[in-house]
Amino acid sequence: MKVLVSCRVNGEQHSVLVDPRDTLLELLRERIGLTGTKEGCGNGNCGTCTVLFDGMPVNACLVLALEAPGHEVLTIEGVARGPELDPIQRALVEVGGTQCGFCTPGIVLSAKALLAANPAPSELDIRQAIAGNLCRCTGYNKVVDAIAAAAQATRKRLDHGA
Amino acid sequence: MREFVYVAPPSIAEALIELSGDNARPLAGGTDLLPQLREGRRHADRVVDLKRIGELTTVRRLPQGGVEIGAAASATAVARHEAIAADYPAIAASARLLGSVQVQNRASIGGNVCNAAPSADVVPALMCHQATARVASGDGWREIGLEDFFTGPGKTVLKPGELLLSLALAPAPQRSATTYLRFTPRREMDIAIAGVAVRIDLAADHTIALTRIALAAVGPTPLRAPSAEAILRGHRLDREVAAAAAAAAANDARAISDTRASADYRRALTEVLTRRGIAACARSLNLTWDGP
Amino acid sequence: MALDPSPPHARPHRVVGKRLPRVDARQRVTGEAIYPADLALPGMVHAKLLRSPLAHARILGIDTRRARALPGVLAVVTAADFPELPVGEMIPMGETGYDMWMVAAINMARDKVHWVGQPVAAVAALDVHTATAALALIEVSYAPLPVVPDIVTAIAADAPVLHDHVFTKGVEPRPRAPSNVCSRVLIARGDAPAALATAAERAQITVSVDTAHQGYLEPQVVVAQVDANGFATVWASTQGQFTAELMIARMLGLPAAKLRVVPLEVGGGFGGKIAIHGEAVAVRLAQMCRRPVKLVFSREEVLQGGSGPAAGALIEVGVAAAADGRLVAIEGCYRMDAGGLPGLSPSLLMQASAALYQCPNLKLEGFDVVTNKPRTEAYRGPGGIQAAFAMEQAIDALCQRLGIDPLEFRKRNASVTGSLMPIGTPFPAIGLSTILDRVHQHSCWSDPVGVGAYPRGRGLALGYWRGTSMTSAAHITIAGDGRPMVTIGTVDLSGTRSTMAQVVAEEFGVPVEEIHIQTGDSKSVGYSDGAAGSRVARTMTAALVEACADALRQLRMRAAEKLQLPSEALDYADGAFRARQPGGAAISLAELMQASLTEGAVVGRGVSSKLPLGVEIGAHVCDVEVDTDTGLVTVLRYTAFQDVGLALNPAAVEGQIEGSVVQGLGWALLEGFDYGADGRLRNASLLDYRMPTALDVPRIDSVIVETPVPNVPYGVRGVGEVPIVPPAAAVANAIARAIGVRVCRMPMTPERVLGAIRGARGRAA
Repeated sequence: MKVLVSCRVNGEQHSVLVDPRDTLLELLRERIGLTGTKEGCGNGNCGTCTVLFDGMPVNACLVLALEAPGHEVLTIEGVARGPELDPIQRALVEVGGTQCGFCTPGIVLSAKALLAANPAPSELDIRQAIAGNLCRCTGYNKVVDAIAAAAQATRKRLDHGA
Repeated sequence: MREFVYVAPPSIAEALIELSGDNARPLAGGTDLLPQLREGRRHADRVVDLKRIGELTTVRRLPQGGVEIGAAASATAVARHEAIAADYPAIAASARLLGSVQVQNRASIGGNVCNAAPSADVVPALMCHQATARVASGDGWREIGLEDFFTGPGKTVLKPGELLLSLALAPAPQRSATTYLRFTPRREMDIAIAGVAVRIDLAADHTIALTRIALAAVGPTPLRAPSAEAILRGHRLDREVAAAAAAAAANDARAISDTRASADYRRALTEVLTRRGIAACARSLNLTWDGP
Repeated sequence: MALDPSPPHARPHRVVGKRLPRVDARQRVTGEAIYPADLALPGMVHAKLLRSPLAHARILGIDTRRARALPGVLAVVTAADFPELPVGEMIPMGETGYDMWMVAAINMARDKVHWVGQPVAAVAALDVHTATAALALIEVSYAPLPVVPDIVTAIAADAPVLHDHVFTKGVEPRPRAPSNVCSRVLIARGDAPAALATAAERAQITVSVDTAHQGYLEPQVVVAQVDANGFATVWASTQGQFTAELMIARMLGLPAAKLRVVPLEVGGGFGGKIAIHGEAVAVRLAQMCRRPVKLVFSREEVLQGGSGPAAGALIEVGVAAAADGRLVAIEGCYRMDAGGLPGLSPSLLMQASAALYQCPNLKLEGFDVVTNKPRTEAYRGPGGIQAAFAMEQAIDALCQRLGIDPLEFRKRNASVTGSLMPIGTPFPAIGLSTILDRVHQHSCWSDPVGVGAYPRGRGLALGYWRGTSMTSAAHITIAGDGRPMVTIGTVDLSGTRSTMAQVVAEEFGVPVEEIHIQTGDSKSVGYSDGAAGSRVARTMTAALVEACADALRQLRMRAAEKLQLPSEALDYADGAFRARQPGGAAISLAELMQASLTEGAVVGRGVSSKLPLGVEIGAHVCDVEVDTDTGLVTVLRYTAFQDVGLALNPAAVEGQIEGSVVQGLGWALLEGFDYGADGRLRNASLLDYRMPTALDVPRIDSVIVETPVPNVPYGVRGVGEVPIVPPAAAVANAIARAIGVRVCRMPMTPERVLGAIRGARGRAA
């Protein structure tokens, strides 16, 4: 039996029919068509489907679609402002922190939550913040470097009052 | 996965009504329940989301001392709560060990308890702080000491229709230290192969007035280590006593072998973690200690 | 051909060799990149596979009637819906290719199942829930057979035989009884046993390695559609659209002309997405229900028999040296666990383990053994890390016995340009000596290992991988604005489109932003072998150099006509043809194409085949700390030295090295499949199959050495495979130096390390 659910994703209100068994991941990918969030394991063991739920990283595969109403969901599609990439995205592009790209959306969102809470993270802070996001391609070097670079770029921009 | 009905009642009373039907399951963080439903390890006809009930998601100081943790409060919320961070750092630390950051932001302390995994990371530290489970059903309320809560892997004393409302902690002790150490092969996103919480309260003469040692992942349920505690109690803390208590804790363990570790290895880790946990308590009590 | 007198690779490069962002990076960081799971076609239905719960059984019958009757179910298939393929129909790939009877068995079991998770039936239904429910209604009756869970059981004299038609290859005379040993390979020179027996010093080691998984984060997904003409389109996550097309066509008995494979973005492959896994089944279901079909594997399916992991191994190695530290003998016996169907030839991994040493006496013997586990597939330098785990530990132990520094020992015995490979042919230019000199000069070797809470040690290990070449094709069409539009026949696993855009930009002398590049589907570009064996960047570079020259030759003729000059009188540079005499006329590619658009398209084509090998060589240095109470090993520092010929894009090269090393560290310390005696995988989740997180590994430092390969455009070597070869041995050697104990089981989990420590204490007591 399908149920109507209303939720806010990337600042937009959506009303869609879901099966009560659907997860937030299925809601995003299959009902709203936001396929940027990927499924790597479906059991909360890889972080590939990370989205921000009221600003906090969660595994979308471990949240029911019906739990979404009343919360603000941010997915990878809502990170860039139009053609302007978020500093984290820009740094990943420039440093080479994305390879196959399957883990990248989740990592961007984990990093975004980190930098919102801690604008000057240490390397250990960064590694802790993305330890819930498995990456099989990069060995993490360039991901960590990119997040550090993004933090620095953001701090610089704020220092200059931009 | 079998079809189910999802409800999110706004009050405990309504939640209890929803849970009174056949095969209803409470949902807090969902990090255990959703994979179990998906893999067919548990079934539900009705899923009762508790997160719309304010009392169940908050942490509060009790007027008579102590703290009450709402069963559906997330691990992150508990770890960050001022009272937990200040007075119960071992509980805060153990909440930060669950799964990953993403999991901690959803998983609840009550869920970690009710899922009754022998490896549940928050349970040993809760046991050290004499946590009491406050449970309600349509018939009334009861309180259960956490040590009496578990009956086997995945099994608790909760009856159908009963709901864990909160975990109440005894007032934070003075001249006391508690630690929780666990061992996993991977640094994050892993399940304890062994976990040990140690609490030591000192008397004025520096002897151990009260101690609690609780073990994870080395028995069918989280366990106390009574013979290890007996060795410590009434003694001054030193290396020899710590080593003897650690060896006793390994004997108290009732470990099994599975894909994660052999029983022998679990016992060996129990000894190491107990020794290190006692040492960590000694350090935090500023006792002279020449290290384990 | 009158071309530019100085070939591009002889002058300083302007684009090649630069640290440029990937051309597709923005799509990846914004979530726009399309993987097959992201496709939703109108009317699409969903498929699920029913998998064997038993590791070894005869299938007596399959009753699908109840499943077919379930509302919402549109089609059900079993092996009966596919032609039965004879043994020996080969699909080209790698050393030996794929035998189609095995490809078919991987996708749908017929008569017998050989591992838990092997597909036995498939359902298409309106939604996934219905498809899953229908699986439970399919009744398969099995007659269980004894399970052969491991190599030791499989090679025992009285072992149950998995395949009645498999006789050990490589044994004379040809055996008369079938065997679980599918092939035997012998590589020998001199008299290794005699040299071992009489040498001044020797070291021997026996290691066992658990089966592990490639661990790509994207599970297998396929979408298939069949049109009214019976033409099928398959959107796949595959390492080779042409290989997949051949396999799907043969498995269905469909002419390849009726089939197109469209490779979308691949969420990691590492060898595991060369063979098809469900693609042909999805097409058959789509043919039957006349709707697009999507088949998505769950993670548990990927791990529990739905895809091919990497081979486990049992390896014995003996090495011996003269008192002066000259290596005099290498003897190795390599038994590889192929899983339920015959696997790769062990030849390459055997060669890899011995290739970097000049050694007069060599005896390497390898066996490919079947067991009741998932049929294995390649994993990045397949077999290399297992073999090096044995060989490089034996060499290190030999150094300890000789009292010689392990780097010094390697310098004394290193293969150099011209020395003989194990198979007897001389090495083309290699840079091993340069690498060893760089190690010697580097702080990772000279810094003290430091003091920590627990014992620390430093390990060194070498790695070699031969790689392969095979064939690659590309074409370049010159757009109306003069820009090159490139279509390549290989999929992009490692940034291929970016590095190849750099090559084309270099050849045309234009900015890389002017290059449009895409991977072609199997009907839009010439046949290319799959992306595997570290072959793509090398061979596609060669194909594109040829395609650029072809296009530029055609453009030169046009330019000569437009400028009314002989073509030899023109120079080409920076996107324009110019008359050689001072002040002469010039025409840019844009002007040229605009002026000659109606004279026909300019298409340059390039094919690379039989390109000289670009062997990969690396040396890794690692520092560890070993918690002797728990057995936990912490990797403190890791440095990888590698000869890459020429780094087309240093960031991409480093990315390959860093990722490959971390995969190696994962297998070294954490990752292993745990099979029960019943052949069931007990850790079929990403919780219990522990791939390293960002907290489990240190920063990986890469040191790039460039020794160009002769007679190869730009001198490019393979890059991606060899860095996974040394890590386990480097860590094991570091552990041995830290605590004086050799760990011979991989992964070297804390429990196994502690077991080794206690075993050594027990022996000492």
